[in-house]
Amino acid sequence: MSVPQETGGSSIPAEAHAVLEEIENRQKRFKRNTTIALLALTVFIFFLFYIIKLDFSFMAKWVGFILTGMGVTLLVSLLAISLACVLSILGALGRLSKNPIANSIATAYVSLIRGTPLLVQVYMWYLALPQLGKALEELGIPGIQNALTLPAIPAGILALGVCYGAYMTETVRAGIQSITIGQREAAKALGMTETQAMRRIIFPQALRIIIPPISNEFIAMIKDSSLVSLMGVWELSYRAIKIGRRYFQSLEMLILVAFIYWLMCVILQYAQEKIETHMARGDRRVH
Amino acid sequence: MNDKKTMVKIENLHKVFGRDIHVLQGIDLQVTAGEVVVILGPSGSGKSTLLRCINFLETPTAGIITVDGLTVNAGKATKEEERKILQIRKKTGMCFQSFNLFPHMTAIENVIEGPVTVLGQSKSEAIPYAEELLDWVGLSDKRDVHPSRLSGGQQQRVAIARSLAMKPDVMLFDEPTSALDPELVGEVVEVMERLADEGMTILAVTHEMHFARDVAHRVLIMDGGNWIEQGPPEEIFTNPKELRSQQFLAHILN
Repeated sequence: MSVPQETGGSSIPAEAHAVLEEIENRQKRFKRNTTIALLALTVFIFFLFYIIKLDFSFMAKWVGFILTGMGVTLLVSLLAISLACVLSILGALGRLSKNPIANSIATAYVSLIRGTPLLVQVYMWYLALPQLGKALEELGIPGIQNALTLPAIPAGILALGVCYGAYMTETVRAGIQSITIGQREAAKALGMTETQAMRRIIFPQALRIIIPPISNEFIAMIKDSSLVSLMGVWELSYRAIKIGRRYFQSLEMLILVAFIYWLMCVILQYAQEKIETHMARGDRRVH
Repeated sequence: MNDKKTMVKIENLHKVFGRDIHVLQGIDLQVTAGEVVVILGPSGSGKSTLLRCINFLETPTAGIITVDGLTVNAGKATKEEERKILQIRKKTGMCFQSFNLFPHMTAIENVIEGPVTVLGQSKSEAIPYAEELLDWVGLSDKRDVHPSRLSGGQQQRVAIARSLAMKPDVMLFDEPTSALDPELVGEVVEVMERLADEGMTILAVTHEMHFARDVAHRVLIMDGGNWIEQGPPEEIFTNPKELRSQQFLAHILN
């Protein structure tokens, strides 16, 4: 340890230095020990893989095939989250609206979607919607049955997007409501309309607050996108399950696909941290 | 006071919160262009509510408000009245006790926000005047700083510049120094004084006795939702007529 420099005449007593050093050492020890523990855990897991004779060459053989499904997983997740973002903003504005029609539609949307299992919703879009189309067609709307008979991927995107949109509606609404009344008043006092105040003052500030929970939803969606496999879409998990069953080596395939999901989520989490730092400009804590 | 034009006129203004909290009880007030008016009164007497009714941050329950010839009847809620309210807000600047700067924008961005968003100016049109205003409140060097990095006094001065960027005809100050550390009060009051010197019409709710005594042209004391006394500061401070104003002034001057 280097001897601390005395600066500008203020002298910190020796005992205080000892305390400061002890605090610093404690932090260092904690960091070091955490790293050791994590390494030990990793070694232990690989040891476990070894003693149960996990077939790594089998995993290596099929990893390429499974990764091909990543495109579908990412496509479904990205389009669904985009849809969810649009729906959640509309939903939040509806929930906060003084217009009784907009308000009740938004409230019903959130309540209905949050109150039913995503699994049921996926089947609803894929299997039940064509039946609705048929009924409507018979009532005299031509071509509606074809339009409502969705291929698996669009049905999956709609199911995920509409479902997550409902959850995110509440996140966005809470974010908007967390902005102090003073901000809206300052905007109004300048002569802004409600729309201008929302667009320029309230929403940009709310966005900063809702980015972490929205990223959270996105990470959850990457994994829930595996539900589209129910409709026979060849995405990540569907491929892993198929191969695992065919060769009676499900353990290898499931560990492999779990690892791929995990890696994707770690990358997303990193991106989330970057975005948060960027959004936090002007916040005292970051300078 | 270069002309005798009436800038703000309030007639029989009532504000009821809830069903029965009668905060403003038939207020009348007339302010001429260039006049500096200070409103005093005990906490809860309705001073802030009155100020906030002038630019309709509070919707008056009844009464007529005229700002620079634009008359809004509080009883009516038509699209036409809504449009006039927006016009009145453009003509009035307001400073809040808690500053309410936009935290996601730098000082200069705060100042140009009104002209750009409300008046539709381009950034390059708005920036020179905004820089002039920041310079006028003594904060040129804080041009690109976010509010969280400014002291309370600096934030309030940026807030004043932000209001002035709209070229208002009237400035409303709602206890602009109440949230400030004592040593920061002076820099804000000094800006308000210079504004008064330049002939701005000012309505201020403030506990800054120096401002009320030396800068104001007229002091009004409010209690229980209406005026109890008004007059030039020298008269109000030395020789208040009403018992309630005597008690109130004795209380705050000691």
